[in-house]
Amino acid sequence: MRTRGLALAGWLLVACAEDDSKLTLALNWKPEPEFGGIFEAERSGAFEKRGLALERTGGPGAPVVQMVTAGQVSFGIASADEVVLARDRGGDVVAVFATYQTSPQGLMTHAARGLASLEALLEAKGTLAVEPGLPYVKWLEKRYGFGALQVVPYTYSIAPFLNDPTLSQQVFVTAEPIAARRAGADPQVFLVADSGYDPYTAVVITRGETLRSRPAQVKALVEALREGWRGYLDDPAPANARMGPLNPEMDAEAFGLGAEAQERLIEVANGALGQMSEERWATLAQQLSELGLLAKPPQPAASYFVNP
Amino acid sequence: MKRALTRIAPPVVTFVVGVLLAEWLIRALDVSPLILPRPSAVWAAATGEAASLLPALGATAQAVLIGLALSSTLGVAAAVALAASPWIQRAFYPYAIFFQIVPIVAIAPLLVIWFGYGPRAVVAAALVVSIFPVIANTLAGLLSVDPALRDLFRLYGASGFATLWKLRLPWALPYLLTGLRIAAGLAVIGAIVGEFVGGGGLGVLVLGAMRQQRTDLVFAAVAYASLLGLALFAAVGLASRIALRHWHASETER
Repeated sequence: MRTRGLALAGWLLVACAEDDSKLTLALNWKPEPEFGGIFEAERSGAFEKRGLALERTGGPGAPVVQMVTAGQVSFGIASADEVVLARDRGGDVVAVFATYQTSPQGLMTHAARGLASLEALLEAKGTLAVEPGLPYVKWLEKRYGFGALQVVPYTYSIAPFLNDPTLSQQVFVTAEPIAARRAGADPQVFLVADSGYDPYTAVVITRGETLRSRPAQVKALVEALREGWRGYLDDPAPANARMGPLNPEMDAEAFGLGAEAQERLIEVANGALGQMSEERWATLAQQLSELGLLAKPPQPAASYFVNP
Repeated sequence: MKRALTRIAPPVVTFVVGVLLAEWLIRALDVSPLILPRPSAVWAAATGEAASLLPALGATAQAVLIGLALSSTLGVAAAVALAASPWIQRAFYPYAIFFQIVPIVAIAPLLVIWFGYGPRAVVAAALVVSIFPVIANTLAGLLSVDPALRDLFRLYGASGFATLWKLRLPWALPYLLTGLRIAAGLAVIGAIVGEFVGGGGLGVLVLGAMRQQRTDLVFAAVAYASLLGLALFAAVGLASRIALRHWHASETER
């Protein structure tokens, strides 16, 4: 779903050029309910009233972590595991707001197969389409083993899933399952989070340097996002109407269903939207380390994030 | 010995100077390894991760070789068919050009739907991108046969097959070999793009390294792919020397 794609080369030789007055936020996908709060904050003027001029950029294939590291954009959307990996590789990125408190990543299979759990899905004979290199796939393989499963690349289309009754694939619960159901399939989805691997997702990241040099601006941005997300959770329709024309592949109904599906993954019982805990980051860094994905020992959890 | 030296020295010097310059520049500008890894880091990944890079290279090389074998056989057959008559040429040649302009990234997912996941889709991608230079070059060769020789064959009452086998194909051989040199590099690109969607080989390794932000490993994989391309290029060059050295100006006058 969220590929860094092949655009790396284009960004390689661009020097750091950050203008203080203008803020840029690089998304890692097309406008979707996943970014609803950002669009709602734009619509309601939550950025404006805090004196923030925020420009959206990026999209599918944008190497967001690299763009933020290079200072090409002030903020970007990534997932928590990408933050841990980037810091391990020497990138100075820090998370400031976590949209999804529970990861929306899941595996989707056909309900007709009668598989009762993630474990059953991975044990059954069939094909699993996932992006190569995804940390959670490595986690699932280590935790359950892949048995007779053939693992193939996911190509960002649900057509193979619709055509093959034994194919399972990675999903964002807010997107592919809804599209598959509306295309006539009967999908069954298992959340990866239920297996114990649960990184914060759709996390807003920035450079450590930005955090130190402009803390007030970062704080204002997070407050605006929080206000936007509160508004989106209460009524997603106005922001969906703004996103719709920017993503013609999803119609109004799909936007509505996506917003509904993600609500429980974003809402918090107590505390503020988007806040993160040291314990969750420590667990994640430990898990990634045990998977052998880190070259160095995990950093102290507090270095990965701040709650401005 | 001296000749070998004058041939090998220039590219080696370019390589060494280029690598040292890159190493120095990246250090001097303090570029994050996430954005551009130092050559020394790429070297460390290329050697340290050889256990995963070598099998991936093997898988890719296999697909490339099968793809190239198919594109040279089918490409020559297509060129012979096209050369048979101007009418056939007019009717079909425009469609052969399809293979040159086909955006392989766009049709690769379809190859998976047609051929299934795995090596077959990868071979198909290598074939699709590498067949056109073979067709175009071989056709040019077949059509440029010296008219005097053609007349000679006709005068002696040579059959169509004999003319093809003894005159036109040998005449087209240097052209075909030039086409193959172009096709070799393209086949590597095609196979890797095919692997992005079909799975396996250096393609999947690159995607995984990218996702895990192992920029050093991405570059190492690209270096392996380049070596594969170079090796194929050299192999075609060698074949060309052996096949043409006794009779063709392109290989005798060096």
